[in-house]
Amino acid sequence: MQEKAEIRSKYWLAVFLVAAYTIPFAVGIYTENVFFDLQWLADLTTVILNGIMQGGVYAMFAVGLTLIFGVMRIINVAHGELVMLGAYLTWMFFFYVGVDPLLALFITLPIAFVIGLLIQKLLLNAVVGGPELTPLLITFGMGLTIIHIVEAIFTTDYRTIPYAPDAFQLTETIAVSRSKIISFVMAAFISITVFIFLKIHRIGKAIRATAQNADVAMVCGINIFHIYMITSGLAAALAVAGGALVSIQFGFNPETGVLYTLQAFAIIVLGGRGHYIGALIGGVMLAVIESLISFMIPNGTAMVEIASYGMMVFVLLIRPRGLMGPKEN
Amino acid sequence: MGQKEHLRNFGMLAILIIILCALPSNINLYQRSVIMFTMMYVVLSLSWNIISGYTGYVSFGHVMFYGIGAYATGILVVDYGWHWIATLFVGVFVSFVVSLVIGFPVLRLKGPYFAIAMLGAAEGTRVVATVWEDLTHGGEGIGLPNIENSFETYFAMLVVMLVTIVVSYWVGHSRFGIRLNAIREDEIAAESLGINSTFYKLFAFALSAIFPAAAGGIQAYKVLYIDPETEFFILVTIYMKLFAMFGGKGTVIGPILGTFVLYIVQEITWVKFPTAHLIAFGVFIVLVARFMPRGLMGFAIDKGWARKGMVH
Repeated sequence: MQEKAEIRSKYWLAVFLVAAYTIPFAVGIYTENVFFDLQWLADLTTVILNGIMQGGVYAMFAVGLTLIFGVMRIINVAHGELVMLGAYLTWMFFFYVGVDPLLALFITLPIAFVIGLLIQKLLLNAVVGGPELTPLLITFGMGLTIIHIVEAIFTTDYRTIPYAPDAFQLTETIAVSRSKIISFVMAAFISITVFIFLKIHRIGKAIRATAQNADVAMVCGINIFHIYMITSGLAAALAVAGGALVSIQFGFNPETGVLYTLQAFAIIVLGGRGHYIGALIGGVMLAVIESLISFMIPNGTAMVEIASYGMMVFVLLIRPRGLMGPKEN
Repeated sequence: MGQKEHLRNFGMLAILIIILCALPSNINLYQRSVIMFTMMYVVLSLSWNIISGYTGYVSFGHVMFYGIGAYATGILVVDYGWHWIATLFVGVFVSFVVSLVIGFPVLRLKGPYFAIAMLGAAEGTRVVATVWEDLTHGGEGIGLPNIENSFETYFAMLVVMLVTIVVSYWVGHSRFGIRLNAIREDEIAAESLGINSTFYKLFAFALSAIFPAAAGGIQAYKVLYIDPETEFFILVTIYMKLFAMFGGKGTVIGPILGTFVLYIVQEITWVKFPTAHLIAFGVFIVLVARFMPRGLMGFAIDKGWARKGMVH
């Protein structure tokens, strides 16, 4: 009986995903934005490639959220704000000191790690395992504070970092901007490094053990509160790294963080909450669907936000486990 | 809860009504507006309290109903020339229908997922209000006819606030409210006792959606200009949540008390510190959630000033 429901939900998810990817094409044909010639196909390829590249960055900040959720069962609503903070830190180092945005990671990541550690130590350690909504409210208030502190310092103007803006020609008609490729490579490098760290290193193993069962981990001599702090620091570092990669391709202002939180949340729901690889796949999938929507649907850039919410709600309703998340009990 | 206490509570309410009725002709326009907005936030935080305090489904997107009400008034007054009081009923009705349509899928999600889905729903409504230019005039917003209406809106808001208080009080003291509390404490156990949790959740959600729509409509008529950014502003949700939490969620007096204290404090501070007061609010949410999850009323119960029980 249970297995049947399980298989059914899998099929429904597949149907939903196929529908989600077909709708932009259907709307595109209906509004005559789709032309079946070579130029259009080249454009489509460009858009999909761009989407995949962007997906790397999305995955970057989604894995931080999924780590926190997997280990502590906490949803950190201030995650997007940490991404935004990362973008501003990078911008600061670039603008005032003149450090290259990617080299600045060597400075910003330790800072972020300490920030995450402190947040965990001061605010969240006491509420892990309690009512689910308390950490949600705490991180929400934290996010609000971060937004307005940044706003007080940097105002609400959009900032950008001019970094490798030229396009990289794949063929004559297909081009991908160089900053996107660089950030995709960086994102892949960082997330694979963290993945290997989780698989091989002693602390990584302890993190995974805590995620599986905190009580048993504690019995085995793991100080789970240290693990929580390290996880939180790691997640903050990943968010800030995501922010650095965001900063070299998009403009950002203090308010953009909310969108990143929602995207990251949609991604981890799609990929499976607490699942590392799931978050990477979910990131790429969400980014591709977003770029398809903004490419083919008129007024699509405004619709992009709805895409991530719709995806999140439907996946939660159809199959709360997502693509590869662990079974809920 | 005996008859005596009901009488005492209604006596308190009657005193509040008399004060609020006597006030407006004796104070200036600015003070009248401040009190009107205080009453508006009483409405908002009490309605948030019905779904989030009694039922335990914390909504992060209740501003959407407020925005729907505001837009119903704006569109009908400007484009169709309706009388503004009539538009409030349309706003309430639309909000009711929307709450059923959205609530039916979304209320199946539990805890944080419901919260985030509501956040998404509110942002989605904002995007719709921006994109659907034929109906809502898009991002340029709607300007309403410019007339002096501080008395009308004041008394309209007073009526809406009284209805909200009475309904909240009824919910808190009826079997319906007890069932909602049962759902909050343990939904599976409540269902096993024969409570149709889907129906009750949906009913509570619809109840909590109609009052913000009326408040939003009055507010739109008062401020004379609406656009998607201000009507679906996430800060409105934050305020209603914070006021209710600060006063003590799950009680009737809590949100009223919380709003009167905090809104007036924020009104005094924001003029002097336009950005700092938002930082302070963020810190305040953290502190309330971390150290005072039951709010002022919880504190009062601990001290023995209020009777321990479901509602007060």
